[in-house]
Amino acid sequence: MLTLNNLSFRYPAAAQPALSDINLSIQAGECIGLLGANGAGKTTLLSLISSLMQPSSGSIEWQGPRSIGLVPQQLAFYSRLSVQENLNLFADLYQLRGNLRQQQMDSVLQATGLQPLLKSYAGTLSGGQQRRLNFAIGVLQPAQLYLLDEVSVGVDSRSRQHLLAYIQQLRDSGKSIIYTSHYLHEIEAIAARIVLLDRGHIQCDLDTRSSLKQPQQLLLQWPEQLPTSLVAFCSGLGLRAEFSSSSVFIAEISDQQFLTLYHFIGAQAQLPSKIEYGQPTLEQFYLNMTGGAL
Amino acid sequence: MRLWALIAKEIRLLRRDWHAIAVLFLMPATFLILMAFAMSGLNREQLPPLAINLQVADSSADSAFFISALQAQLSDSKLQHASDNQQPSIRIDKNFSTHLLDTPHIGPSLSFPAATDHLSRQRIHSAVTIALAQTRLRAFLMDSQLLDEQIPIDEQLFLVQARTQSELPQYDVLSSGNLAAKANASQLSVPAWLIFGMFFVMLPMANSFQHEQQSGTLLRFRGLQLNVATLALSKLLPYIAINFVQFVALLALGVFALPALGLPALQIGDHLSAYFVLALCIAMASCSLGLLIAALAKNTEQALLLSAGSNIILAAIGGVMVPKSIMPIAMQQLAELSPMSWALDAFLTLLVGQGSTVDILPWCLRLLAFAVLCGTSGLLLFRRRVQQTLWTTHN
Repeated sequence: MLTLNNLSFRYPAAAQPALSDINLSIQAGECIGLLGANGAGKTTLLSLISSLMQPSSGSIEWQGPRSIGLVPQQLAFYSRLSVQENLNLFADLYQLRGNLRQQQMDSVLQATGLQPLLKSYAGTLSGGQQRRLNFAIGVLQPAQLYLLDEVSVGVDSRSRQHLLAYIQQLRDSGKSIIYTSHYLHEIEAIAARIVLLDRGHIQCDLDTRSSLKQPQQLLLQWPEQLPTSLVAFCSGLGLRAEFSSSSVFIAEISDQQFLTLYHFIGAQAQLPSKIEYGQPTLEQFYLNMTGGAL
Repeated sequence: MRLWALIAKEIRLLRRDWHAIAVLFLMPATFLILMAFAMSGLNREQLPPLAINLQVADSSADSAFFISALQAQLSDSKLQHASDNQQPSIRIDKNFSTHLLDTPHIGPSLSFPAATDHLSRQRIHSAVTIALAQTRLRAFLMDSQLLDEQIPIDEQLFLVQARTQSELPQYDVLSSGNLAAKANASQLSVPAWLIFGMFFVMLPMANSFQHEQQSGTLLRFRGLQLNVATLALSKLLPYIAINFVQFVALLALGVFALPALGLPALQIGDHLSAYFVLALCIAMASCSLGLLIAALAKNTEQALLLSAGSNIILAAIGGVMVPKSIMPIAMQQLAELSPMSWALDAFLTLLVGQGSTVDILPWCLRLLAFAVLCGTSGLLLFRRRVQQTLWTTHN
């Protein structure tokens, strides 16, 4: 649906380009989680895709007409207009008419739960309600690609589930989405693909479903000392483990090995204070990839 | 449809902005009334009535005629047979009739309490001089048998007045630019504060643009690829309309409310199309300047400072706060740099000089040139500011 070819951008008088040779293809119905530390180039990339800036070199090719829905991080609406007046204004600007207008309105109101607040002035809404209105205005526009920037900040967990469900619904209906968020578990839940930017380059572009399917890991921690026989028991099971005085980390362990080890630990005089067992999360993956850089 | 939606939004927002309503309507209306009162002594067309004591020692028909002629000169004043020494007095001597046709003639004697102002003394002196001349002319006509003594005094007075009438055609030279010196309080105050209020649209215009830029709504507009002309027109057109509403409302205040408060009524005259042309030119100038200020300011504090500051400076040098007619020459020359001064001159041409569209054309052309200059530079800067509105993200 959208292809970025060798896309580069340099701000005037900047020593380094903000983006260099970005090649990216976005398919219909694809949701991409865009990650990167501050200054990595996310803003520049979103600005180029939304045509707010023109690339220094390279090109953006649309298969089909260009149509983008924006949900910026800022609360981009009029606080002295009511919820309904804001939605009507943007519906007019999106040139929505007739049945399509009504369908879009009903759909976003249901997703955001703003129906009872239609008459309220936007400025009087709570922080979370304002976020929902900001989201509603962006997705009211029928578009092929939605750029969603931190849409769930400050939204309570129930409303957040509604928003995420609506984004999944958009994705499932064939819309493409580029999603940035501080909440990596949200990205993990809705994005099948992650693009990690680092200093203007794509550091990795991977399918989360396969990339996060790594072996199970186990972390055990005792309040004081490890059981004395634990090192020998792990060795007997053929596990490669890293030991400290009170903890052990095993990077790869099967379910059968875990069960055996679990029974062994349960028979010891002192039980561990912490047990973490499972696949690595996106957050762990992100921290590994970026080395914890901000 | 998009432009109309943006215009409707702007008007809706303005209607709910009580601060803007106060700045655009309440403040100029208050200043207008206060300053009209403050200048109420200037060039009043109707002078206040006087109370004058008459001490008449002569009971002839001549002195009766003189009193009638004097009352005709001071039609709204009260001539009373009393000896109150707090009022100006006119004393008619018992030999008034005997020596009426003597030359030189010593007429009635006048006495004024020390507190009587110069203008009142002049008015009484002039009225007595004219009444005396008419009484002497009557006596001459009687002696010459050109006037019948038997007809009533008011008819005699009419005939005498007819013999002393003369046509003195009077023309105002509109290009002299000194109409402010002839304007009364309402003619000075209404246009001055009306223009001041109209130029204050800069403030809500600049604030509205700042809000859109800072909130991200401008980012949405850019994402929709709304062109700069649509965005600029969506600001200009509603505020031009607001300017027209201000123009009509504040003029109506001058025409209807000021006389109810005892101030001179504003006489609009017949050239309504000239007022429309003038309102349009002022609106173009103020809104173009508003666009420029909106594009220049980088935050709401700057918007407030630039719009209010420039408005007050333009008003101060342009003769809004102090009439140009009482400014020193150097300040009057400086005033010529202010578009408010041009608008004020055009207004006075209509209100005081009863001019037409052709008469105000030089000032209208200046206002339009100012509008083109500010509008063009404002549009270029506005375009740049819109293009500088980028996506911001904090993660």
